[in-house]
Amino acid sequence: MSSETGAVARHRAFSFSRIYAITINTLTELTRLKVFYFLLIFALLLIGSSIFMAQLTFQQEFQILKDVSLGAMSIFTSLLAIVATARLIPQDIEDRTIYTILAKPVPRFEYLLGKIAGVLLLLATVRQMSKAPREQVDDALRALRSSALNVDIFPGIVIIYLKACLLAALTLFVSTFATTNIFTIVVMAFIYFIGHLQATAREYWLQGHSSGWITHAFLAVVALIFPDLQAFNLVDDIVVGAAISLGLFAKTALLGIFYTTIYTLLAAFVFYGKEL
Amino acid sequence: MTDPAVAVRGLTKIFPVPLHRQSVVAVRDLDLRIESGEVYGLLGPNGSGKSTTLKIILGLVSPTRGHTEIFGRDSSLVESREAVGFLPENPYFYKYLTGEETLRFFGRLCGLGGVQLKNRIDELLELVGLTRARKRRLGTYSKGMLQRIGLAQALIHEPKLVVLDEPTAGVDPAGSREIRDLIVDLKRRGITVLLSSHLLAQAQEMCDRVGILADGVLVREGRLEELIAIENQTELVLADASPQLVEEIESLINRSNAKLIERRKSTTTLERLFLDATTERPKS
Repeated sequence: MSSETGAVARHRAFSFSRIYAITINTLTELTRLKVFYFLLIFALLLIGSSIFMAQLTFQQEFQILKDVSLGAMSIFTSLLAIVATARLIPQDIEDRTIYTILAKPVPRFEYLLGKIAGVLLLLATVRQMSKAPREQVDDALRALRSSALNVDIFPGIVIIYLKACLLAALTLFVSTFATTNIFTIVVMAFIYFIGHLQATAREYWLQGHSSGWITHAFLAVVALIFPDLQAFNLVDDIVVGAAISLGLFAKTALLGIFYTTIYTLLAAFVFYGKEL
Repeated sequence: MTDPAVAVRGLTKIFPVPLHRQSVVAVRDLDLRIESGEVYGLLGPNGSGKSTTLKIILGLVSPTRGHTEIFGRDSSLVESREAVGFLPENPYFYKYLTGEETLRFFGRLCGLGGVQLKNRIDELLELVGLTRARKRRLGTYSKGMLQRIGLAQALIHEPKLVVLDEPTAGVDPAGSREIRDLIVDLKRRGITVLLSSHLLAQAQEMCDRVGILADGVLVREGRLEELIAIENQTELVLADASPQLVEEIESLINRSNAKLIERRKSTTTLERLFLDATTERPKS
């Protein structure tokens, strides 16, 4: 060991290499989780089960195939986004690994960015993996009908991914002030259901249908704080065969990116002042 | 005048208790100055404020009042951590990483890479005696090995200050001895060491200066030999002295104004006995 001190490169306020190191480590950490494999097998079984529908007509078969596979993909990625993200910070605090990381010249927002990037990378990987059986089925159907089948499905898959990203960022935000991952998961379960009703609450709030200021205030809070998760359910349209317009796709994608960015920034803000 | 390794001025930390009116004062009006190159021991019972003080110095917890600096830089700034390595109490690290991967991860966080990082990892694994275990996952490491890999990650970026929170807690005597030897080696290399401990015998062996915290207040501080010296007493340790010689010394003492307080056979320490017994045993 050299007796000289200070081998570290001059500190940079922002470093992609530090974020990359945390991202890859987070991805490795998440792929070691048993729950990840359980969910993955469950999703693959669900998607793969669409193959065994020989007695149905082609139209029915294709309809159910899209319904089951996209539905499973949506539920699985949402569930994985919440479960995987909820444990990241509490686990690091419990194991004290967060102290060793943040005692290095690593800004807190870089730590958070690395963590969320690891989850998003995992979701992207899983999305690719769960696409595989569906594509195999698509190939089989394509051979039967020799028609292009899944051009309309791709926007749906992108939107499912963005919804999972949003949920991951929101879970990260909740976990910055939660003390256990169970608390985070329970809160996220509530947010998930409220998020699907947010559009209704917003409509009532904006149109002033509600009676009484308490109801009005409650609807306002729901409409302003919670994400509109129903906006990401374009899969329903795809399943019934309706193509998504480019405008709607772009609008929904932008909404997903906006929510993900906002919740990540909020998480960074809360985490910045957190006593470790 | 050069900046001290650590300067703490008027530090107070109060933790509010949720749903209660009262709050807990973890540290109260603490002043510390640790010079470069010394080994400083922050001693005290559990809950005396040692870990909180270390966390504030490392910027992990913000002080309610007061100011902390590391080599003249405000320790709440991320840049100040370029000069610091930290080993927390009972660290777990990531069990799925090998010793080598752990050091690579922490090295990258410090901006190291390429051949420089590879050489540094080799050097540190050699230093902490884990070269042969470099490819083993940390999940298979013993407590002592975890402490040693923890010390290696604290040193990865060649810091000028190393902060160790209970470095030998839960480690067996042999492992504990290895860690103490490493700390003494750090001092020899000119690295400042700030450690917290409630194992006083170990702190006595390693520290140049100590501060004793009780209920968040620094109740004693100074050079170790000055703090523990008993001014009006002198010890003579004799080897191969005949009984006649001992009697002559005693009668000489009795004729003077001095008083013989205790006469006993010298003993070894229990730790030395343990280490001798466990290292002499032939390996099966």
